[in-house]
Amino acid sequence: MLEVTELCKSFGGLRVSRNIAMKLEKGERRVVLGPNGAGKTTLFNLLAGTLQPTSGEIRLDGERITDLNVEQRARLGLSRSYQKNNLFEGLTVRENLALAAATARGGTSSFFSRIHESREVRETIEEVAEMVALADKLDLGVAHASYGNRRQLEVGLALATKPKLLLMDEPTSGVGPGMIDAFHRLIASLPRELTIVIIEHDLDLGFDVADRITVLNYGEVVFEGTPDETKGSDVVKEIYLGDWQDDA
Amino acid sequence: MFHQTRLKSFAVTAVIAGLSLYAIFGGFFPREIVVEIALLAILAISLDFVAGYGGMVSLCHGAIYGIGAYAYAGMTAIAGFDAVTGTIAALLATALFGLFVGAVTANISGIFFIMATLAFGQMAYVVIFEWKALGGDDGLSGVSRYDLSAIGLDLDDSLQFALFCLALVLVVYAVAAFALRSSFGRTLSGIHSNENRMRALGLSAWKHKAVAFSFSSVLAGVAGILAAQHTMFVSPELLVWTVSGEVLIVVILGGLGTLAGPIVGAALLVFLKHEVSAYTEHWHLIIGLFLIAAVMAGGRGVYGQAEHMLRGRIRRPADA
Repeated sequence: MLEVTELCKSFGGLRVSRNIAMKLEKGERRVVLGPNGAGKTTLFNLLAGTLQPTSGEIRLDGERITDLNVEQRARLGLSRSYQKNNLFEGLTVRENLALAAATARGGTSSFFSRIHESREVRETIEEVAEMVALADKLDLGVAHASYGNRRQLEVGLALATKPKLLLMDEPTSGVGPGMIDAFHRLIASLPRELTIVIIEHDLDLGFDVADRITVLNYGEVVFEGTPDETKGSDVVKEIYLGDWQDDA
Repeated sequence: MFHQTRLKSFAVTAVIAGLSLYAIFGGFFPREIVVEIALLAILAISLDFVAGYGGMVSLCHGAIYGIGAYAYAGMTAIAGFDAVTGTIAALLATALFGLFVGAVTANISGIFFIMATLAFGQMAYVVIFEWKALGGDDGLSGVSRYDLSAIGLDLDDSLQFALFCLALVLVVYAVAAFALRSSFGRTLSGIHSNENRMRALGLSAWKHKAVAFSFSSVLAGVAGILAAQHTMFVSPELLVWTVSGEVLIVVILGGLGTLAGPIVGAALLVFLKHEVSAYTEHWHLIIGLFLIAAVMAGGRGVYGQAEHMLRGRIRRPADA
């Protein structure tokens, strides 16, 4: 489904991503963990298309997408959510989802159709609102929504494009402890056929939702395995404990 | 997002009806004022389409207006084509110019976009100014008004021409409103709200912005064609950048991103100009004070402020 080979990214002399390799099956949930500065965000941007790799290759369903830009990748079914909410301010939840659903559907350049109000888009909006638990907040102005709701909508916008591959950048970033579990359940309950890559620094999310976990450190993949294998891994313990000790 | 609210319908109808009565019961001079308002209103609607709903604050709409006027005048008065061909040619010329400017400037934002459009406008001005076949700085006369005798209208009559211009304000408003409610318009609002996110959703935003600019230019072209017919004469004055500035003032005064506001703003500015200039030559000063007051009172403009206050009372969903 997604295949990353020998992916490298350097900024000047600084090698931020080094020979990263990943292979995801359809429907797999992969959580990419790593301490601060491990190169998670760079990897995310390389996958999303906001950064071009120095070398290496990214394939989506066998098709080489390495040289495609953000919007071309999006049209191939690669959708992303942001670490910091990136919504359509001033509009309602419904209008936000309508923009996402209609843009992904195409035909947005027509002066003579109203796709955003079409039955097809309305159905997508309702479906997605259900998934991200916003069904009763569709007419809420985004500006008046709570942080948690905005976070849910952030994921909703990515889902409304009906992606094949969903990239999530720290989906629980800023979500309070009371809502973390609900958010993990939300992610775990997304349709099984959807392939998801989640960049995260919180280990718990990995253990709750991942099929497999990739651990980055200093720009390299240092570990890959199931959540159980990850819990037992000495490498991971060392990185995370080391990280804690550095912080303390 | 644009919604054709009752308030918008009411405001547009009221202003147009009021101006119609003013033209009908006034003499020649009031009719001239009405035409002036109508031309400015059409131009302001076209600017609001890109600036208020697409975030593209253009300072070359005056030039586009002039290009429309010159294309029509050139095709009919010099090349001898009929009015229909002249109209199509003028609309096409503005569409192409708009598409070009839009495509080049689509990835520029903020103040740099304004400067880039200003530069394009000045280039058009210089070209027209130097173009000897189009009369250069002397301008071009001999433009005739549409011959609508087939439907019993005589546009050489000042009242009928004024009413014709008002009718076209309504048509242009309706076309812009229709476009804003279409898939195209909704997408444009999305770009205005968050262009990066639209691109992440798979949209080629620059193409969309270029087409929006082109569409807006065609509407400005309509005003240009009417301007050429109104005075039956075109001059490079039409393309001067202060025209673009005045249109922007009208949009802000009436309410940026309201579509109905520009019509209100145009009426307000022209009336104010004529009323004040009866007492003093420094009418710009009064307009300036008005503008400062409008911006400092929240920047919503006269119509925008009314809409804001009424919406607060009935709590409709956001209308951005």
